[in-house]
Parts: sequence; C-alpha cells; structure tokens
Amino acid sequence: MSSPLDDPDGNWWDRQINRRETIWLGLSAGWAVSLFGWMLGWTEFGDQNNIGQNYKVSPERFQEKVSSFKDTAGTLTVDGEDYLVPDGEDIYVGAFQWGFDGLPVVVRPNQTYKVHLGTYDVQHGFSARNESNLSQQISLQMIPGYEWVLEMSWDDTGTYQVVCNEFCGNGHRSMHGKFLVRDHEEVETGADAGDDGQAEASGPYDGWLTSSDNGGAADNFDGVVDETGSSSVTVEVGADGNGGPFANAPAAVQVDQGTTVTFDWVSAGHNVVLEDAPDGSDWTGVDSLEGEGYTHEHTFDEPGVYKYYCDPHLMNGMKGVVEVV
Amino acid sequence: MFGFSTYEYDSDGFRECNVTGLRIHKSAEDMVKLFGLTAIVALVVGGILAIAVAMTRWEAVGMLDAGPFYKYLSMHAWNLLIFWMVFMEIAILYVGGPFVLGRRLSLPSLAKVGYGLMLLGAVGVNVAIFVTSSPNNAPLLTSYVPLPSSWQFYAFAIVFLLGAVVAALPFFATIWWERQDNPGKTLPLVAFGAFVTSIIALEALLGGLITYVPTLAWRVGFIESLDPVWYRQMYWIVGHGTQQINLVAMVVVWYFLTHVLAGAEVVSQKVSRIAFVMYLFFINLGAAHHLMSDPGVSAGWRLWNTSYSAYGAVIASMIHAFAIPAGLEAGRRAKGKGGGLFGWLWSSPWDDPGYSATILSIVLFGFLGGITGVMMGQMQLNMTWHNTLAVPGHFHATVVLGTTLAFMGLGYYVLRLVFGLDWILKPLAKIQPYLYAGAMALVCLMMMYLGVLFGVPRRHPSVMDIPGTEFSFEAAQPFFAVFGVSAILAIVGGALFALIAVGTLLFGEKFSLDTASVGDVDRVVADGGDEDDEPVHEQSMRGTFVLTLVFLATFVVLTALNWYLLSNTWQIGP
Repeated sequence: MSSPLDDPDGNWWDRQINRRETIWLGLSAGWAVSLFGWMLGWTEFGDQNNIGQNYKVSPERFQEKVSSFKDTAGTLTVDGEDYLVPDGEDIYVGAFQWGFDGLPVVVRPNQTYKVHLGTYDVQHGFSARNESNLSQQISLQMIPGYEWVLEMSWDDTGTYQVVCNEFCGNGHRSMHGKFLVRDHEEVETGADAGDDGQAEASGPYDGWLTSSDNGGAADNFDGVVDETGSSSVTVEVGADGNGGPFANAPAAVQVDQGTTVTFDWVSAGHNVVLEDAPDGSDWTGVDSLEGEGYTHEHTFDEPGVYKYYCDPHLMNGMKGVVEVV
Repeated sequence: MFGFSTYEYDSDGFRECNVTGLRIHKSAEDMVKLFGLTAIVALVVGGILAIAVAMTRWEAVGMLDAGPFYKYLSMHAWNLLIFWMVFMEIAILYVGGPFVLGRRLSLPSLAKVGYGLMLLGAVGVNVAIFVTSSPNNAPLLTSYVPLPSSWQFYAFAIVFLLGAVVAALPFFATIWWERQDNPGKTLPLVAFGAFVTSIIALEALLGGLITYVPTLAWRVGFIESLDPVWYRQMYWIVGHGTQQINLVAMVVVWYFLTHVLAGAEVVSQKVSRIAFVMYLFFINLGAAHHLMSDPGVSAGWRLWNTSYSAYGAVIASMIHAFAIPAGLEAGRRAKGKGGGLFGWLWSSPWDDPGYSATILSIVLFGFLGGITGVMMGQMQLNMTWHNTLAVPGHFHATVVLGTTLAFMGLGYYVLRLVFGLDWILKPLAKIQPYLYAGAMALVCLMMMYLGVLFGVPRRHPSVMDIPGTEFSFEAAQPFFAVFGVSAILAIVGGALFALIAVGTLLFGEKFSLDTASVGDVDRVVADGGDEDDEPVHEQSMRGTFVLTLVFLATFVVLTALNWYLLSNTWQIGP
C-alpha cells in the first residue's frame, strides 16, 4: 500500500492507474474545455459580454466629458423628477465620492447606447439592476484614469437602480443613481437644449452656488446670511445638506472687514479649497481633508468675495462663499 | 516550549510519534507549537470581529455604523484571511518538511526571526487599522489605490510579508539538506505537497512586496501616483495568492488526516503529484478572475487567463476531489472496513472531530466553494457576481468551510500528537465540526443567494435604507434573517473550538493510545505497513466514482442556471 507519509517504493511513476480514476481525468478535462469553449462562444453568440473600448483619460478630462454630456442632454420630467435625455447614443456616468454624475438618465427600449464609465477620484463600482426584477443585475468596475465604453440595450422598460459596490470610503453606502427605460416623446437635445445653465448663472456670485457648471449646485443655499456687525462668525463644514453631510452652513455669509470666521468641521473627510479670492488676500483655506472637531480660523481683512469648495464633495454641491464688505 | 507538552525527547532531540510513526525533532516541534498557537490567537480575534461584521449586515440587529464597521471588517479580513492562515501554513510547512522527513529544522534561528517579524507585522496591521482616522480609510483586505490608508498599515503589511518569507526559508533548507543526504529518494507525497505549497507561498509573498512597497512610497509622497490598474493586477498576486496557499495546504492536510485517522492510501502517486505540479504552474493565474469585470485588461487577456486557470488549477482540484476519497475507499476496502458501494464511508470514524472536520471540509469546499469559484471565474458570468455579497459567500465557502475546517481538524491532532494532551469536553468536540460546518454552510448559501439573486452589494453596513432614495434591498430581508441566525450559530461553533483548544492546553490530560482512540485505524498493523495486500489501484473505487459523478452533475446544473440568469439581463457589449 501507499502512504502519503512515506517515500513511495519502486517505480511509482509507471504503476497502473485505476480505470475509474482515468475516466474521471477525462471527464474533468472535457468539462474544463467545455467551460472555456462556452465562454469563447458566448463572445460571438451571447448577448452579455463585458467587453468594450477602454481609454486612458485623466479624471479631470473625464469630468469635462460628463459635463458636456449633461450640457447637450435634454430634460424629461417623469413623476416630478428630471431625467437627462442623451443627445445621441452616448451616455456618460462619472462616479465620485459619493454619487453618480450623469445620472439619472432616460433611455428608449431596444435602442443601443454607449455607456461611458469612469470616476473622478477613487475606484467605484457600477452595479445596476432592474428595480422590479432584482436578479436582473450586473456589476462593472470603475477605475480612475480609465474610461470604459460598453454598449447596452434594454428590452424591459422600467426603473433601473444603480449603487456603488466597490468600497470608496465611509460614505460608500450612500452612493446611488438610476436610469429609466421607457418610450417618450421627442425632447430637444444638443448644445442649446436646456437653458437652465444660463438661468442658474444669474444667481449671486456669478452663479457659483446655484449653477451646476462647477460641480453640483449647492442646494442648501437659500440666500446670503448677513453677519455684518458680528465680531465672530462660525461656518459649519460638513453640515447636513446636499444629499448627505455635504454642506457648508451657511453656504454664503456676509461679514465686516476684520471679522474672524471660524470653520468648524462637524463631519469627517472635508476640506476648504479656494476657488477665488480678492487680490491681496492671504487666506489659503485648508487643503488637507480633516475630521470632525477640526477648526480653522481666519481674519478677513481684504474686502471682496471669497469662493471655496470641498474637494471630495464638489459634485454634491459642497461649496461656499464668504463676502467681506 | 510553553511547558505544555507531555512528550520527552531522546538525547539527539528526537522522539517517535506512536500514531503516525513519524520521527519528530524538538527544533521543529517547538516552532510548530509557536506558529500554531499564534494562528489560533488570530482565529479567535478574527472570530470575535465576525460577530460585529455579521451583526451589522443583519440589519435587524444593525450593530455598527459605517466608520467602525469598515474598521472591524478590515481587521476581520486581515486576521482570518492572512494571519490565521499564514501562521498556520508555516506550521504546516514545518510538519510537511521536518516532521515527515524525520529531520531537525534547518536554520532554526531564521524561523524565530521570521516569527518575530510576522508577529510585529500582524500586531502592527491590527493597530494601524484600529486607529485609522480621516483622511485615511480602513483598508479592508484590498486597500485599492488611490483610496488612501495610513502609511503605517502598508509598512506593517510589508513587515509581515517579509517575516513570512524568512519563516519559509528553514523549510526550504530542510528540503535541500534532505536532497543532499538522499539524492535518489522520492519525497513522500505530503512533503511534496508542502514543497509545492511553499513555492506558491513564495510567489504570493513576493507579489505582496511588489505591491505594498511602491504603495507605501506613494502614500508617504515619494511617488506621485500609482496606476490603479497596475495595483489591482499586482495586488491580486498576493490577495488571491495567499488563498491559493490555503488551498494547497488544505489539500495536503486532507491527504494527511484521511490517512492517519481512517487509513487512506495514495491511489496513484503519479496522478496526485501531477495535480500538485499543475497547481504550481497554473494556480497563480487563477487570480486573474478578480479582474474579469475590469476595464484595464483586454478581453483576450481575461479569456486566456480564465481558461488557463480552468484548464490547469481546476483540473488539479478535480483530480484531488477523486484521489482523496478514492484513497479512503481503497485503503478501507483493503483493511476490510466496509464493503458495498458506500460501506467504507458509513463505517468511518464520524465521531472523531479530526476526521469529520476533514470530510466536511472536502465535501463543502467542493460543492460550495469550488463550483462557485469556477463560475464567477468565467468572464461573462463574473458580471452577475462581481462585488456582490455572493463573492464573500464563495470565499467563506473556500476559506472557512474548506481551509479553516481542515485546519481545525488538524488542530485537534496538533493538541494530541504535538502537545500530547487529550481533548477536554469530548462530547462537545465530537459535535463541534458538524455545528460549525452546518451553520457556516447556511451562512455561505445565504450570502450567495443575496448576491446573485438580489444583487446585494458586499462591503455595505446597510442596504435596507439608502440615503436619498426610496429604493432598497428590502425584498432580501428573509434571507438576511437566515444569514444572521446561522452566523450566530457558526460563531458559537467556532468559539467552541477555541474553548476546547485553549481548555485542552490548560487542563487536558496526558494523551495516550491506551485510553483514547485515534480514528479507527489499527495502529499495530499500520505501523508495519501491509505490503502483502493487493496493489491499491486494484481496489474498487466505485463509491468514489458515483460521488464524483454527483459532484460533476451539480457543477453542470449550477453553471447552466447561472448562465440562464445572465442571459435574462439586458444586452451588454458588442
């Protein structure tokens, strides 16, 4: 007999193999070849192949592409919700911490679209499912620096829900987007479709807070808070708003020259990056991402408009203004 | 070491094991105890953290918020997938080398240095994860760039991997000296398998250094950026590679324990060794299945690598799936232990936890872990599995039902044969493998259902309320309930093992063959060998053949069902 703990005796290489073991070897090899053949065949005859063009593209460049996709898209309102109507067959989805830019989109059934997947910051996952049939679901990896273009076409109408399924930080679970598959009337698309861009640009501070041209619109903004006359003013960084803890509160504040403003972090993972400041200002903001409890103080001596934003949450609309008068 | 052992050594430092017949040197045995006990500590730590992870995902309990959940999930992963496994694997190398070959451990001081580095790395990684604070993120297992984790985490991971490489060197030296002393001799199968394990381990660990050293350099600002696609490809050399070590080490344990406890023989040295060599050549590329739904690698690359691993590593596993039960069947038939189709199986020592853990490990690894791994490794099917809860379902079936269960089986015999102590709470020890395996199998099945049928994502603390939308995965709630209850039972089963192990070390009585049975093999005969029997390959293997056909049929049906599900989704790709 043959123990696994002793060196085998004699010429073990030429010893006979049991007939059933030989048959099993043949079955195993046949099954492996079948699996491979099926997979190869599916690329020709199957309808689901995670194959598509892939480009190297910087996250900034990809963000511009998503912006121009949104600019040229029309708008369709269904049940009180606005959906982007793609101008042509291309759809751009840009994932960021923590949301999907370019969604929600409405597409027509049985028409082929090119879905461009990419991210603005870290790795994310595009995990989409038919809301009324959850097992109709697929997941695709989204990687910063890469744009993956996959053709897709839907037979079943309805709402498709998208969540992120690659860990992307503590707000991972809050990432959500959707698209709608349905027939709809013609919607005007193209460069001068949708006039909301211009309309929003008319808001205060050149539309910095109200427009979605630079990141998302700061939905928590409801007018400039007048703090002139106060000697000390506090702005909460990471307050609730804009779909999560993604707001600067107040979003815009007016203060007197020489006022000290305290930026008080009330949730983690935010910074205060300067978009614009008056000439002669010595304010540098806070470039590093800081956590709850962190504070930053600055005395504003130079009059003018200071625009700032939170880098990870620009797309959520986490923007702010300090106006010194 | 530790004063736990009841065995005494002769003046050369050797003793003979009266169960396995192995000649064991103190230098190797001390190290096996040290690495084995440390592994069990990691198992206990990881197991305690499993409570936090499972009870968060079962949202009826909803234990933790995102921040602590990701920390504990990361520590759960590192302690169980890396520390428990790699410490145990080094112990297995020292059993498969010095123990089986009857040699002292070469370069024992390197083993100690390696141990020190591994311990430092393991403690360091745990602390680094625990104190993670913004802007750093919990690394989970993968620490995909450019999401930053603390530089201390990467640094201690490097220290651990370096330590494991150093700790593997005494094993290589032992094999080298064996070959010098006995140039014409063939290594015993278990030593050969351990040797293959060690080479795969070295590949994985070096892959880890290639990944983490540049990542550390990036994190401290020495390198400006790292290509995330490059990171993913390099990372999975160690990420999956370490799990391949588990797999091969587990297979070695299967051969070892079925032989020692139930008289299994090797039905064909040639076939079993070829299967190990196939692992050596092919299994590392199996790691490519992590990149099946990635943009960064071409379809040709993905198809080739899945086929390569399917041809190579899957066939190798299917060979062992036949060879090990066939060895049991042939060995037991030859000893007259049961006839008929399955008599050899029914009559085997099911009340020996070492044996039952091994058999449960073989069956559950194959049916739940192996089949699912091959399915999600097919490029297109991967889309329905990728990053869903079904993925943890798969790897809990391989790593917990397969490897951990096999290592628990081995652990029972390390207590008896290395420490010389007999188990406390024997009636509980007898049921422990069944409780643990049964509950854990349900946990794995539920995770797979949740992932594939409901598309529930992995790595989320909650999926029942998604901020900013009405949509949620509420339909999946009943499956989560079964998952949660089974997880509690599985944790109780795991804790029972830890209790028996630690209790035996502290209060166990001296183990003696006169008072305790080891499997159901007659030691007097086994010792002398039974050369007069007919050759092993002439024994009937019809029972095994039927079992493996059932396995293949299950494999085919499950694969077909998964492709059917995929074909029901919308059209994707050219």
